[in-house]
Amino acid sequence: MKKIVEIALGIVTSVGGFLEIGSITTAAQAGADFSLQLIWAIVLGGLCIIFLVEQAGRFAAVSGRTIPDAIRERFGFNYFTMLYLTLVIVSLLVLAAEIGGVCIALELATGIGLQWWALPATFVIWLVIWKGTFGAIEKGVSMLGLVTICFVVGAFLIHPPWNQVLHGAVPSLPKHDSVHYWFIAVSILGASISPYLFFFYSSGALEDEWRETHVGINRVIATGGMSFGSLISIAVLILAAMIFAPKGIKIEHYSQLPDLLVPVFGHKGFWLLVASLGIACMGAAMEITLQIAYLTAQGFGWNWSENQRPLDEARFSFVYTIVLLLAALVVLTGVDPLSVTIVSMVLTAATLPVSIVPFLFLMNDERYVRSYRNGWLSNAVVIFVIALAFVLAVVSVPLQIFGGS
Amino acid sequence: MDLVRDCLDKQLEDRDHRRMGRVDGLILECEDGQPPRVAYVEVGVKTLLDRLSCRLGDAAARLLTKLDIDTEPYRIPWGKLHVGLNTVRADVEAEKTPALEWEIWLRKKVIGRIPGA
Amino acid sequence: MKRLLHAELLLGRKVLALNGQSIGRLEEIRTKTSRGYFFVSEFLVGSYAVLERLAAWSIGRAVLRVLGAKRQEGYRIRWDQLDLSDPQQPRLICSVDELMPLTDGQYPT
Repeated sequence: MKKIVEIALGIVTSVGGFLEIGSITTAAQAGADFSLQLIWAIVLGGLCIIFLVEQAGRFAAVSGRTIPDAIRERFGFNYFTMLYLTLVIVSLLVLAAEIGGVCIALELATGIGLQWWALPATFVIWLVIWKGTFGAIEKGVSMLGLVTICFVVGAFLIHPPWNQVLHGAVPSLPKHDSVHYWFIAVSILGASISPYLFFFYSSGALEDEWRETHVGINRVIATGGMSFGSLISIAVLILAAMIFAPKGIKIEHYSQLPDLLVPVFGHKGFWLLVASLGIACMGAAMEITLQIAYLTAQGFGWNWSENQRPLDEARFSFVYTIVLLLAALVVLTGVDPLSVTIVSMVLTAATLPVSIVPFLFLMNDERYVRSYRNGWLSNAVVIFVIALAFVLAVVSVPLQIFGGS
Repeated sequence: MDLVRDCLDKQLEDRDHRRMGRVDGLILECEDGQPPRVAYVEVGVKTLLDRLSCRLGDAAARLLTKLDIDTEPYRIPWGKLHVGLNTVRADVEAEKTPALEWEIWLRKKVIGRIPGA
Repeated sequence: MKRLLHAELLLGRKVLALNGQSIGRLEEIRTKTSRGYFFVSEFLVGSYAVLERLAAWSIGRAVLRVLGAKRQEGYRIRWDQLDLSDPQQPRLICSVDELMPLTDGQYPT
């Protein structure tokens, strides 16, 4: 019974990191612009991240090290520096997008401009991290995040043509506007295969004191959590496909987001959207903030843990404080959060190889994972993801320039 | 023992298993006619930056010196170290070494002044 | 006269033969214990330092071979066969023929 509860909680907490402004925005744009055609991109991204997250968790549980620990130890400081600078810059942008997402939710709820919410929202995020423990943050926000199930309910209530939904899960060529189609596909993959997700997962495994005995649970949680998250993203796409696409409406402003749920739930849909967006983005913002701090502390060998007092890990606490301030400054400039979101997803896609290539080596290194090395399937998937990452790295920025909205 | 595989960039811990940085550098003592002896491990910002580029390390050192910040790396004699699987344990107390200088400074001057720390 | 040398700054440096040509990049420093101290016994030199550090076991090498990376053997250089008076340019003080080859199984894993 205890294991079932642990698994259920683990799945719920895993969803939290997956669904955020990037996945919501890209799925909604995909549905509005190409109806059900791009479901395959979410499925592909979901499958990739399941394998990467499972491996990250297995690595941490068996080796007692996190991925950043091992990258510094195994590949040296020079490679780690390249990874660090890349991830921090991209993650800061993603974090700004998530804080922007929280501010959008607050603007929709109150009518007060989102820039006014930048500092208060950032302060609340900081306060929760400052005062909370890892478990409390993870589980608390994730339980609240269950409100996002409304997207799934809505997708069923809107009665989509299910045969077309299944058809959309199979990769297809675009019927129109090819450059924009592939741009959206790349953005979805960038939103799904986010390095912060699997890096954070490995740190979280150690925060939760996972050991070798958790390898099985890890597999279930990684698969369940990422699948559930993908399902919610697909639901967002379906809603956009049924509501926006038939009218030829493009999603160009965040004020259109409530229209995803209002036609299905009436006025309650507005508040469900506000709650879903706000909570999902707040949860993601906390994860990304912590992940930047984990990456820094682990890479340089500092003391780190969300379960310790800030005073006992001053450098770790200082880093996440500064990171939040910097991200808040981006939102304060008034830049459109949706634009920041799309740019950050594209940059994530463009820099994927740097984060994923080490997996192939670490997951087969007996000094770390002992007898829990990757099997042929896991290795094949990692090699595929690396190849995909290189393709994304090459095409993402040109697609953004020529096909971005 | 292979120095790069087993020692360089590994987590450094003190005698109480407190994390105190990573092995940023390794110092060999060379004498004519004798094999080089592993003398110290080194922890420090300049040591790290020198690995990227000596010019970068020198520039950083000049800037930090202008700000009155000590740039001398911290060296631990090899005799005080035990090399484990992915960890190097030093027979020192981390809080009493320069390795935690920044940690202690931040604790006193910044983090400690924020309520709830 | 004793002098101190930063071992981490030797990594990746090209090792020059007597004729000034590079025989590869310094990849690893092997030590042995004696009377409680650790002394350098060998320097390992490979042809592709970065690739070899990543490919220190079979699947990595297999991937690199698939991607077309040339697979070349390296060398084991005894401590007394290498001149480190200029750490930026380590030089052999013997001919390449006198060096022990670094075969597949001897790469650090």
